[in-house]
Amino acid sequence: MTLLTTLIGTLLFAVAGPVVGCLLAGLDRVISARMQGRVGPPVLQPYYDVRKLFEKERVSVNSVEGVYVACALLFALLAGGIFFSGGNLLMCVFVITLSSLFFIMAAYSTRSPYAEVGAARETLQVMSYEPMVLLMAVAFFQAANSFDVAAVLRLDHPIVCTIWLVFLGVLFILTIKLRKSPFDLALSHHAHQEIVRGVTTEMSGPVLGMVEIMHWCENVLFMGWIGMFFVWANPVSIVIAILIVALVYFLEIWIDNNFARVKWQFMFKSAWLVALIAGGVNVAFLAFL
Amino acid sequence: MEFSFGLIGFLIVFPLIVAAVLLFVRQEAPRRVIVCASGAVIAAASVILVVMNLGAGCTLMEFESMALDFVCTGISVAIAAVIIWFAVRYKNLLAGVLAAVQVVGTLILEFTFSHGIEVPYGLYFDSLSLLMTFIIGVVGSGICIYALGYMEDFQAHEPEGAPDRRPLFFALMFVFLSAMYVIVFSNNMEWMFTGWEVTTLCSFLLIGYTRTDEAIKNAFRQIVMNLAGGLGFLVALYCCALTVGTFSFYEFLVIGQNNPALTTLAVTALAFAGITKAAQMPFQTWLLGAMVAPTPTSALLHSSTMVKAGVFMLVKLAPVLHVSPAPSIMVMLVGGITFVLCSFMAISQSNAKRVLAYSTIANLGLICACAGVGTAEAVWAACFLILFHAVAKSLLFLCVGTAEHHIGSRDIEDMDLLFDRMPRLARFMMLGIMCMFIAPFGMLLAKWATLVSFVDTRQVALIVILAFGSAATFMFWAKWLGKLSGIAGEPENVEVTVKPTEWVALLIMACLLVLACVFLPLVSTVLVEPYVASVYGVLGQDISTDNLWLSSICVVIVVAVLFAGVGAKQKCRKVDVYLAGISRDNEGRAFQNSLSGTTQATTRNWYMESVFGEARIAPVGVVFNSLIMVVAFAVAFVVTPMVF
Amino acid sequence: MAFASKSPWVIHYDGSSCNGCDIEVLATLCPGFDGERFGVINTGNPKHADIFLVTGSVNEQNIGVIKEIYNQMLEPKVVVACGICACTGGVFHDCYNVLGGVDAAIPVDVYAPGCAVRPEQLIDAIVAGVAALDEKSAALKAARKGA
Repeated sequence: MTLLTTLIGTLLFAVAGPVVGCLLAGLDRVISARMQGRVGPPVLQPYYDVRKLFEKERVSVNSVEGVYVACALLFALLAGGIFFSGGNLLMCVFVITLSSLFFIMAAYSTRSPYAEVGAARETLQVMSYEPMVLLMAVAFFQAANSFDVAAVLRLDHPIVCTIWLVFLGVLFILTIKLRKSPFDLALSHHAHQEIVRGVTTEMSGPVLGMVEIMHWCENVLFMGWIGMFFVWANPVSIVIAILIVALVYFLEIWIDNNFARVKWQFMFKSAWLVALIAGGVNVAFLAFL
Repeated sequence: MEFSFGLIGFLIVFPLIVAAVLLFVRQEAPRRVIVCASGAVIAAASVILVVMNLGAGCTLMEFESMALDFVCTGISVAIAAVIIWFAVRYKNLLAGVLAAVQVVGTLILEFTFSHGIEVPYGLYFDSLSLLMTFIIGVVGSGICIYALGYMEDFQAHEPEGAPDRRPLFFALMFVFLSAMYVIVFSNNMEWMFTGWEVTTLCSFLLIGYTRTDEAIKNAFRQIVMNLAGGLGFLVALYCCALTVGTFSFYEFLVIGQNNPALTTLAVTALAFAGITKAAQMPFQTWLLGAMVAPTPTSALLHSSTMVKAGVFMLVKLAPVLHVSPAPSIMVMLVGGITFVLCSFMAISQSNAKRVLAYSTIANLGLICACAGVGTAEAVWAACFLILFHAVAKSLLFLCVGTAEHHIGSRDIEDMDLLFDRMPRLARFMMLGIMCMFIAPFGMLLAKWATLVSFVDTRQVALIVILAFGSAATFMFWAKWLGKLSGIAGEPENVEVTVKPTEWVALLIMACLLVLACVFLPLVSTVLVEPYVASVYGVLGQDISTDNLWLSSICVVIVVAVLFAGVGAKQKCRKVDVYLAGISRDNEGRAFQNSLSGTTQATTRNWYMESVFGEARIAPVGVVFNSLIMVVAFAVAFVVTPMVF
Repeated sequence: MAFASKSPWVIHYDGSSCNGCDIEVLATLCPGFDGERFGVINTGNPKHADIFLVTGSVNEQNIGVIKEIYNQMLEPKVVVACGICACTGGVFHDCYNVLGGVDAAIPVDVYAPGCAVRPEQLIDAIVAGVAALDEKSAALKAARKGA
């Protein structure tokens, strides 16, 4: 049963995820432009970009990079499918990590110095946010008594009531996961590139297009995680959750536009400290009270 | 049943006979035949035993023999004699004293206290023993077969005129297997103790194989630490004799579950023995030092034998630990702290074998923590951690060993471009690495179950430790994986000279790994759940079977990509990598610099010495864990009612 | 419909410019003119770029760099010579080491003269370049179908 729902969920997510993610990315660019006193591109600009990338010539630096990126995209879709079909949150976390690993391997496989720097930094980013993500899953389990995301639909109150500290921790690492400044060490979406273009230095044309789609899907998934905190048995809660997701996304854009990139030491140490305090304290609280 | 016990006897005796024969075979050809054939026989016998008894509960066998008791005592004396001889020869006082104390203690126990204590059921097996049998039989003999080709190369790399100690080497490997079978099948704890000490001695001799100063030093470090652990075992035997009144492991566990106070000291002492053997901090240095030995030794110590004996003991004790707080907290904290700190330290290592060693110690720590938690779910997780760790680690060690002989280094930095230079080997290595740390492979599913069991038992410290330790695990494996996956041009393929026996062993491990990952739900049903059910009365699996099958599907996809999808010729245009300037030699990453000279870009992995260096982290674990053990023993002394 | 014209990503290389044109190129890409309205993004990586903006003349030192950047760009791609030096060599055309305009090294699609070239002119040049980009994209698509 779970297998079937996951499969259907993945197929639906493969269609809906990129659409929503693309619009989200377009809004991001428009809002960023307005914050900088510009008009900005059309909302559909990310869509045009990706279509253009798929129109470009197919070249590669080796025979494996494209395969790894395709795997990364596939597993990102699967993770989204698991999450939005109400599946196991921990499984979703693990699959999205697998997706990150393939992305990292794609960069390493090129042996380009710039891509390797990006890949190493990406690995560090994963290490930085992973404890908080795992603790989020644990806290979710403690609050909802199940790892299944669908369990929130049976609760009397949103889980954020009991795990608001974890929510704050997740907000912190969300900036890393969304690749927003000040934590966009591995790969930046802006003109001020960090060491050429980090992980995607050697990715071009259709492969880069796949990477963009993967980011859209990831962003939708992470926003889903945020929304999950605010959903309970009441159907109205979905609307509230969407509003809060919008608010959080706006907050992330604001952070992106207002903070300068930090060094890796600060990112790593602060992310672990936040995980230890926000995650550890909240999990301990739930375990003993 | 009769046949099964016949097989057990065969598995214990047959390797000894093989070892005796191998001791006198000096030519390569007959040795190859003997090792391959007997390895196959042992593996087959193990598999038959496992298949015939799938789902078995604890099955005791009536078997008692005074003669065997005396044989065991004799072996103990012989072991002590060998150690003392080496201790005198290499002037190592501590090892000699420990061995002397141990042999005196054994003799006193044998001739005074243990009289009148009879163990009518000398042998037994249950599903956990069968799981271990499978690991020892298949993985262990696979390593023996691998060693054939490896040791030939090894001897060829030795200086001219170096003595050829290979007969002893192979004999020891097979004695090791036999001793492991003794440990997992003995219900009589005195026999088990003998097996325990034989593994200690065998690894001492194997680590010191090359007789270089470093090897001797590390071998003595190993023997001192494990003799200390052996003393712990001896203390436990005294406690059994004095307070519990039985040497039957089965009865001991039952009594322990019903009356934990009575056995607290014995369990603490046994757990201590298990902790030393499993190389938990502060004893981690012996396993790191063991790296000087030829790679098959490392593979054997790390995957199927030695350290697995330690965690086997702890997992067997889990139901008792569940109800006795002092040893339970000791095992949990020692294991947990070891897991997180060794995962950290692995980040700072560039020597592949040291990374593997730290990863082994860390994973054993996790198994210890599971055993310390002691619930059905935790034991389920521990069993899978043992299985996947054994198979994946042996695969990795064998890969590193072969790579070392063909690229001349065991440094991860030198494994650059291995994907091109040794395409098949690199893929095997990548498979092994992925299995160690990433979902959907077995190791991570076991970690998942571990996490759930920690949450269920409200072990907040362990939850936090697992979260941070897993993150560190991602870092050190991912960067190694990245190093392996690099591709540039068409370097010379250097793997054509790999020996066929090495390929056979590697292929066996890789197939085993993939099968175990894909059919994890089945393994759970036929091997792990029966053990958990026979001890706890519940199944212990806390991940839904659907999710397990979902991961199986993912495993198939990843393996297919790794072995079929990657590396196929593509039609699209191949371009150079970006070097920000004029490339001089793009495949070699050389470019024209601002002075029109040539600069070569080099990249090294990230070791974060300033954050995760050994010098910073190791002392913390050593101090903490030593304190924890001292406190646990003190508490155990207080709560255990003493006879004397 | 070709999407190449809707998202022209540019890369900028300073051959041997006196920096006058460079300042103007960057000014064009700055928020004041807001090139992103038309999807223009300044990338630092030739593999991601569609339009190559070159300033300054070509000489013995930089011809290799220009060629390498050009070769690493993916088809369809367009080259815009920004400023008179990039178009013809300008006042430096008879220097001992100057080879000429950018077309001495790689094919140029759009010439934007000026000393220094003004942002308005550059925008016109990019628009002309975008049209060329569309044509090339259509040709590539036809070639791919034919093949």
